Amino acid sequence: MTKPIIEVKNLAKNFDKNVVLKDITEQVDPGQVVVVIGPSGSGKSTFLRCLNLLETPTSGQVSFDGQDLTTLDTKRVNALREEMGMVFQSFNLFPNMSVLENIKLAPMKVKGMGNDEATKLAHQLLQQVNLDDHADAFPTSLSGGQAQRVAIARALAMNPKVMLFDEPTSALDPEMVGEVLNVMQDLAAQGMTMVVVTHEMGFAKSVADRVWFMDDGYIQENSTPADFFAHPKTDRAKDFLSKILM
Amino acid sequence: MKKKLAFIFALAFALFIGWGALTPTTAQAATDDSLSQVQKKGKLVMGTSPDYPPYEFQATVHGKSKIVGMDVAVGQKIAKDLGVKLVVKSMSFDSLLVALQTGKVDMVISGMNPTPARKKNVDFTHLYYQGGYSIVVNKSEKGLYKDKDSFKGKTIGAQTGSTMFNETKKQTTGTKVKGMTSVSDLILALQSHKIDGVAMEKPSAQAYVANNKQLAMIPSHFDLSSSDTSAAVAFKKGSTSLVNAANKSVDQIRKQNLVNKKYLPAAGKHLKTNTVNTSMWHYWKAFLTGVKYTLIITVCSVFFGFILGVILSLARMAHGGVLKTGLRWLATAYVEFIRGTPMMVQVMFVYFGLGLIVNLPALTSGIIAISLNSGAYIAEYIRGGINSVDEGQTEAARSLGLTSASTLRYVVLPQALKNIWPSLGNEFITLIKDSSIVSIIGVSELIFQSNIVRSDTYRGVAPIAVIMVLYFIMTFTASRILNYFERRMQHD
Ligand SMILES: Nc1ncnc2c1ncn2[C@@H]1O[C@H](COP(=O)(O)OP(=O)(O)O)[C@@H](O)[C@H]1O
Ligand SMILES: [Mg+2]
Repeated sequence: MTKPIIEVKNLAKNFDKNVVLKDITEQVDPGQVVVVIGPSGSGKSTFLRCLNLLETPTSGQVSFDGQDLTTLDTKRVNALREEMGMVFQSFNLFPNMSVLENIKLAPMKVKGMGNDEATKLAHQLLQQVNLDDHADAFPTSLSGGQAQRVAIARALAMNPKVMLFDEPTSALDPEMVGEVLNVMQDLAAQGMTMVVVTHEMGFAKSVADRVWFMDDGYIQENSTPADFFAHPKTDRAKDFLSKILM
Repeated sequence: MKKKLAFIFALAFALFIGWGALTPTTAQAATDDSLSQVQKKGKLVMGTSPDYPPYEFQATVHGKSKIVGMDVAVGQKIAKDLGVKLVVKSMSFDSLLVALQTGKVDMVISGMNPTPARKKNVDFTHLYYQGGYSIVVNKSEKGLYKDKDSFKGKTIGAQTGSTMFNETKKQTTGTKVKGMTSVSDLILALQSHKIDGVAMEKPSAQAYVANNKQLAMIPSHFDLSSSDTSAAVAFKKGSTSLVNAANKSVDQIRKQNLVNKKYLPAAGKHLKTNTVNTSMWHYWKAFLTGVKYTLIITVCSVFFGFILGVILSLARMAHGGVLKTGLRWLATAYVEFIRGTPMMVQVMFVYFGLGLIVNLPALTSGIIAISLNSGAYIAEYIRGGINSVDEGQTEAARSLGLTSASTLRYVVLPQALKNIWPSLGNEFITLIKDSSIVSIIGVSELIFQSNIVRSDTYRGVAPIAVIMVLYFIMTFTASRILNYFERRMQHD
């Protein structure tokens, strides 16, 4: 039996009086692809951000590779974040740097990688996301689909063990969704551990190992995609699916 | 404006006097080493306000601008008799006594009357000159006025902080008294009919009338005690040994009538050479010096102000433990305080106030004061710039494992800077103009230089027009350069 790479125990998070996450206990195994779905405002982003401590949990534990993150000091938290790449809905590329520089920044400044090596790595990753011809472009000149692929390459440059995606295709024009999902699918096929918040049910059905349905501060259901879409157990999930699949 | 200036100076002065009163001055008197100190230094620093011919004024001697006049001759005699070198420092009349109090100068010779009020704060020598007051009027209106009593419903101007100013107020009824810092300004006001007469000492009046065909003088008939119409050398309170030594020279000057026989004629000669060529081209060197210092002050102040601004803005945004909260509180207090007090007061405080601890030259003081001031404003721009950078940028950087310092340095600050570049440019251009404030402590920037040219040439308007053009050239060039960089940044 493999040890889980991410383990969440009794995680709770509130912003002042607004209780967003009530009590979450789940785990992610190495190589697993978990898709988190749920209504807007149900706390999916907050949950994802608790995993790499962009948000500090109010209570409970988040462990990565057997280490409880909530007890770490700032330095160790920084080191941990290298191991978890994150891709945001709004890309968040650095507009003051070229595509290449966006990718090179973290390897050079965090890992102390040399310029030549970082450049080589960046080109490799750009080839992987099919954008090597845009290496010297600036983010403002990219389409949404291109920008998001660069963001994925940027996160991969730190050679993370886990990738977190927060609605990576929600800000894209429909014709660009496919190119980003393809890259993600390739990643999954290569065995990357992924936690993906998305509304792309097709992706969930074909790529996910597990689907977590989140609502009201809890993970309401944790099933295989086939089970979840064919036989949702809770009324909340049924209600959600009926709205989304209409 | 000028009234406010006088008020601020009076306030600053009162502050330092009060300060002096609190510290035990008796101890100082007991161990008066003022004379030996000067002799040890080998130089005697004289403070004067060189816009008062023939007492003191700027003249071009062998192609170089120099302060000359009968007061300088008096200073030279005292220094020579003490066996030391004379160094002449110029500043506005208002700040002379503060400079003496704070040790910026060793003595003040500036046509200063030893009034009882002044005697409380400084020590005077015997009188080296006894003159009287006259009133300068426009020649075309000379028939209208007989003496001080002919100005009912009119305005007489006098140098702010001078005895004439106070006496004109006291001894006229129904006459408005207008104070200005420099006599050149007063003459300009007279010629443009803003005021109807200018009260000044007789030798000065003679000099102005001799050099300006449109002016005439009339007797003032002020009722004055001898201490009001005469000039003495001022020293810091308690420097008895120095005063006694200087008195020997002063007594000789009186006995041999040196002022009338030698000093005034010599000063008159300088006045003549001065006014031979009053073309502004003739003074290009003076203006160039002004431009140079204005630019030095501005560039240095923006540079240091920027560094200070970055530090302050980061401190203002610090969150966390007690230390960070304290830091934030301090930075906020600093910014609010600097923004809530006039730059002029800050300049004076650095020059005179810090001068009590370390003796900084006027230029350094000016740069320090303006940097400190500018830092507070730049801090607010930077804070705004940092806040304007999308939160997602920080999150993306942190998610990659960058420390908060690296995130700031490589991701947030470059974007913030681009956002606030226009504001920083504005600050730079504002400083080119506002740096003129350091003229009050005698830094030879453009305004200061123009005042010198004005009193040199007896021409009121031309130098102002020249510096207006020079300021415009500087600000216009600066804004072109800044725009160029702004456009280049947009390309990235
Ligand atoms: N930084 C924050 N401060 C305060 N409230 C927040 C913050 N982030 C999220 N929330 C609140 O938490 C709740 C869940 O938000 P989110 O996790 O973004 O939901 P989802 O991603 O499922 O749409 C919302 O009510 C939102 O207003
Ligand atoms: Mg969300």
